[in-house]
Amino acid sequence: MEIVRYREDVWGREVLLGVSWDFLWLVIAATFIVIMVHAAIMLARKSGPRPSADGERLSRHAAQDRWFHWITAAAFFVLLATGVLPIVGVKFPWLTAHWVAGIVLTAAIVFHIVRSLFWKDLAAIWIKPSDLAELTGGSAAPLPGKYSLAQKGMHLAMAVLVLVAVGTGIAMLVQIDTPWWARSNFLSEAALGWMFLLHGLSTLALIGFAALHLYFTARPEKQFYLRAMVKGWVSRSELAAHHDPARWTPDAAASGDAAAQAVPGLGADAR
Amino acid sequence: MTAYDVMPDIELYQPATVEDATELAARLKGSAWLLAGGQDTYGWLKDRAKTVEAMIDLKGIDALKGIRETPGGVEIGALTTLTEVTQHPLIGERYPLLREAAAVVASPQIRNMGTLGGNLCQDTRCWYYRRGLSCYRAGGNTCYADSPAGMNREHALFGASRCVAVSPSDTAIALSALEATMIATSRRGSREIPADDFFVGPDVDIVNMTALAADEVLASVRLPDRWANAEFHFEKVADRNVWDFALVSIAAALRMRDGHIENARFACGGVACVPYRLPAVERAVVGKPRSESTGEQAAHLASRGAAPLNHNQFKVPLMENLVRRALRG
Repeated sequence: MEIVRYREDVWGREVLLGVSWDFLWLVIAATFIVIMVHAAIMLARKSGPRPSADGERLSRHAAQDRWFHWITAAAFFVLLATGVLPIVGVKFPWLTAHWVAGIVLTAAIVFHIVRSLFWKDLAAIWIKPSDLAELTGGSAAPLPGKYSLAQKGMHLAMAVLVLVAVGTGIAMLVQIDTPWWARSNFLSEAALGWMFLLHGLSTLALIGFAALHLYFTARPEKQFYLRAMVKGWVSRSELAAHHDPARWTPDAAASGDAAAQAVPGLGADAR
Repeated sequence: MTAYDVMPDIELYQPATVEDATELAARLKGSAWLLAGGQDTYGWLKDRAKTVEAMIDLKGIDALKGIRETPGGVEIGALTTLTEVTQHPLIGERYPLLREAAAVVASPQIRNMGTLGGNLCQDTRCWYYRRGLSCYRAGGNTCYADSPAGMNREHALFGASRCVAVSPSDTAIALSALEATMIATSRRGSREIPADDFFVGPDVDIVNMTALAADEVLASVRLPDRWANAEFHFEKVADRNVWDFALVSIAAALRMRDGHIENARFACGGVACVPYRLPAVERAVVGKPRSESTGEQAAHLASRGAAPLNHNQFKVPLMENLVRRALRG
């Protein structure tokens, strides 16, 4: 299996074209196997009673962050469909939808970065050495703060991959005509080849991570996180079962979603 | 680029039936080249600008040849030569638009060998692409023609999505104006593809110019009765009158009633990667007489939305003038 696609030009030079799309099937197969193995392990384990969603509601995600998440998700899936379907043989005019979705994703990411730097607790999502105890502690592993090590790892990986995809995508966008500019030729053929290679590699990795993200979202014991991303809150019981209140002390959202959204400026503990 | 002037080593298959050809096309898809008259093929292969492992020579399949009347019009086998198209009485009587288009393809020698199917399926003449550069159409990541230093006098005004190459087919615009249907056949069966869907632009498929799948063979072209014996206009403007490709060409079919245009179809060549239909012109001329003033009124509609490149602005007035002349009568 080739990793990279090359083409020999008229002068006999090898021109780098991008990633080999054979990898797409490898990523799909590998992701499928990981999910199946995890599902089998979880099936074999006895699961305890799930914490109740009733009772006091605590703010987990502010409305702005939930909007960011779902706009990003929508843009991501449009990008995935318009980028990958033509490769697997579904022919349609994909390019405009692809770059428009790319601009939406870029704008959402810029918003998220600015918000994270100045209005949120950036350290809450950053992996610290103390988090590693979640891996090594076995049954005595400490409960995480707002985000588990797995969630932090997923966020970090997807952040790096999305930034690579967006950065290379912007370089490629400048090479095509849009309503605002005529195409530029500022990149050499070799540099463009690297852009396509990195864009393709990051896309393939994102497909795998997105599939894992969807799988874990759909798992019964994790579904309260999905609800939190939709409605904004977790219950006091869910907090106690999955998080260490000493490491994460969210604001109370006593009357549900409306109250959670109404938290002015997001208190430090809710970040 | 070295021109070897000899054929590379290629496995040659010469099926005698459509079934054998489609079986081979299914088995060898991606690695085989379908050969009709060979007028576009041999340049590619001798120059090594394209390489294939096998060639399926369709010329021995009699079922793909000939022109016959059908209940709904006329059917032309894809392997019918362009000379036969120009000389056949059915075409001359009912669809002189196609006869005129076929008659201006290349040179008499090429028309004797070249087929209607080959003329429709031929690849673009963009020299960057044909020279073997790794452009978008060749599977690469850039367009050399649409660059500040690119030579793009012959390239597209419309529908350029990264690639600015144009369709070189003279008969394609005539068939688009005549509302023809292409019959594609494969081991999976046959399907009818309207001419307007048969040709695809780079926005949909940047490496192929037709909707044919890798395992499909273009079997025939059907001309519907609805445009038989209509009024037609075909005109091709090229640098030379013989053995040249169109800079801009036009094919118009006009159905008249009481001296007024009842229905019309216009298609331009040399301005897009597909036969470029002119729906705004078609709508504007309905109910009007075929006259100088109608042409004047409609001409500017033809070039609406054009995006000229550095060296092909001349195609805009040329296209408008061809519309004027088509409507002049």
